[in-house]
Amino acid sequence: MSAAVHLLPLSVVLPITAGVLAPALFHRRHNACSWWAITAAALTLATTLTLVSEALDGGLVRYPVGGWPAPYGIELVFDGLGILMGSAAGLLTLLILIASRAFVQTEATPQRHSLFHGLVLINLGGMNGFLAASDLFNLFVFMEVFSISAYALVALARGPVAALAALKYLIVGAVSSMLVLLAIALLHAQTGSLNMSDIGDRLAAAQAPAAAGLALGCLVVGFLVKAAVFPLHFWLPDAHASAPSPVSALLSGLVVKMGIVGLIRTRMLFAEADIFSLVALDLLLVWLGVAAIVIGAVLAMIQRELKLMLAYSTVTNMGYIALGLGLATPAAVGGALAHMGFHALIKTGLFLSAGALVLSTGLSRIDDLRGLAQRMPVSSAALTLALLAVAGLPPTAGFVGKWQIALGALEAGQPWLIAVVMSGALLTLAWAIRIINSLYFLPPARGQVLTADEAPLSIRAPILMLGLVAMVGGLAGAMVLEWIEPLSFRILEAGHGH
Amino acid sequence: MVVLFAVGLYIVLTSQNLLKKIIGLNIMETSVFGLIVTSGMVDGGSPPLLGRGLEAPYASPVTHALVLTGIVVALSVTALALVLIVRVKRECGSIELDELLEPEE
Repeated sequence: MSAAVHLLPLSVVLPITAGVLAPALFHRRHNACSWWAITAAALTLATTLTLVSEALDGGLVRYPVGGWPAPYGIELVFDGLGILMGSAAGLLTLLILIASRAFVQTEATPQRHSLFHGLVLINLGGMNGFLAASDLFNLFVFMEVFSISAYALVALARGPVAALAALKYLIVGAVSSMLVLLAIALLHAQTGSLNMSDIGDRLAAAQAPAAAGLALGCLVVGFLVKAAVFPLHFWLPDAHASAPSPVSALLSGLVVKMGIVGLIRTRMLFAEADIFSLVALDLLLVWLGVAAIVIGAVLAMIQRELKLMLAYSTVTNMGYIALGLGLATPAAVGGALAHMGFHALIKTGLFLSAGALVLSTGLSRIDDLRGLAQRMPVSSAALTLALLAVAGLPPTAGFVGKWQIALGALEAGQPWLIAVVMSGALLTLAWAIRIINSLYFLPPARGQVLTADEAPLSIRAPILMLGLVAMVGGLAGAMVLEWIEPLSFRILEAGHGH
Repeated sequence: MVVLFAVGLYIVLTSQNLLKKIIGLNIMETSVFGLIVTSGMVDGGSPPLLGRGLEAPYASPVTHALVLTGIVVALSVTALALVLIVRVKRECGSIELDELLEPEE
């Protein structure tokens, strides 16, 4: 076991420890706390990147906790999903923490600054743990770590709406967690094992397919709620729109993607067990994806608040990812995975730049933000770049995934789905252009717009970087897809290799 | 256990009172914990302890560890929910969901 393997538990333990210490050490010392959190996030990112280079050299990184080998011991595994979402989580959390220096001061009361930083770090640790967990119970525990910290983060915003939205999010999230735990209980009762690949092997010999089917259903519903896939998205707009902007970025960019990760793990587990065909599950994902794309885009279009529009756009994009997974062809799954990574970047950029506009003016409606581009050119430019990317115009990062999913629809022999992919993109473009038009070409309607100041450098730098990456990310698409290809084959081929 | 789970889920979905929703959630959690513990039972099994003259077969100790962890998670969710309910009550003046949502319409 090389030394680098020990970095895997470190990528979980480090942010959680730093997060727990943050409120204890830096109560009411905002600046110090912010630097503490940024340092911890940067170290976590460095840890993850070292693991990524290790994994790219020599395949999976495995860490048997306490030296007990799987399936009896707990094992942490850093696989393709870990590489993809782990590096995204580390990088985006770091950028969000940098941008938060300005946000948190106005969007949360001073007593809560240290809590905010602590919770963001705990959230990062939870996500890293979720990605590395190879047994179901750790999956559940880390899911709860990032979910509970997310509920608390939503509640950090001022005002009565935030508390109610957080409570709604908590109740829905807790119910979905319980469904997942129920499924874990059923699977454990059937197989006597918790290790995911071990369960996959043993489930084939289990006597009660009904219980296994119930477990599959509970896992799918539970993770669909976490991923906010239509029609289980109802909690998302409130929670994401009323949270403080950096928290919205974190939730929309990363936390909902974890539900998809859970879904992929579930699919791989049951594909390995090979007790029933997964065609029904795939078909369900396709239809839910189609509905989510269209309905999310239409609902985004009729919103008047900037952050609500972005929240509904998350529903659309989770639909794309579900559609890509459901099509279950190499191109579509590759597209879904690429879209997971790229959408995380784009949506973080969107929420942070939109947050910058809302922060400087105190206004949140599109109509009130008219003409703001003159006073805030950098933030508006970053928002515009990210909006074009989320609509999926060709050179942007949003294009890669959608193109691949459309190709996958052809591969699967369902060309009509291309029309859905296109219409989702066009509807998104329609409301994106409405925002861009108000910002750049309409005369200011409110006094706050005339006196607004450009966001501070700590916000401008991350959002401009995210905007540019979102804009030109598509150029690196071929490289990303080439790298993702073996991973999507592994997801599709799980079980067939035996 | 499945009945308990369904009862809990029903309360969460239909109750308008936030506090009752949390109670429903706790009923769901209890049912799942019960299911996990009973699944670890072995016919005629003794407690999984060494050195007390107890002999195999042992009941599975894993399930107890799982439930213990699960209870900690459930406790923290409940605590957070109760804090939020206190805040909703303080800021909105009610914990009945239908009363909370009405004035906005």
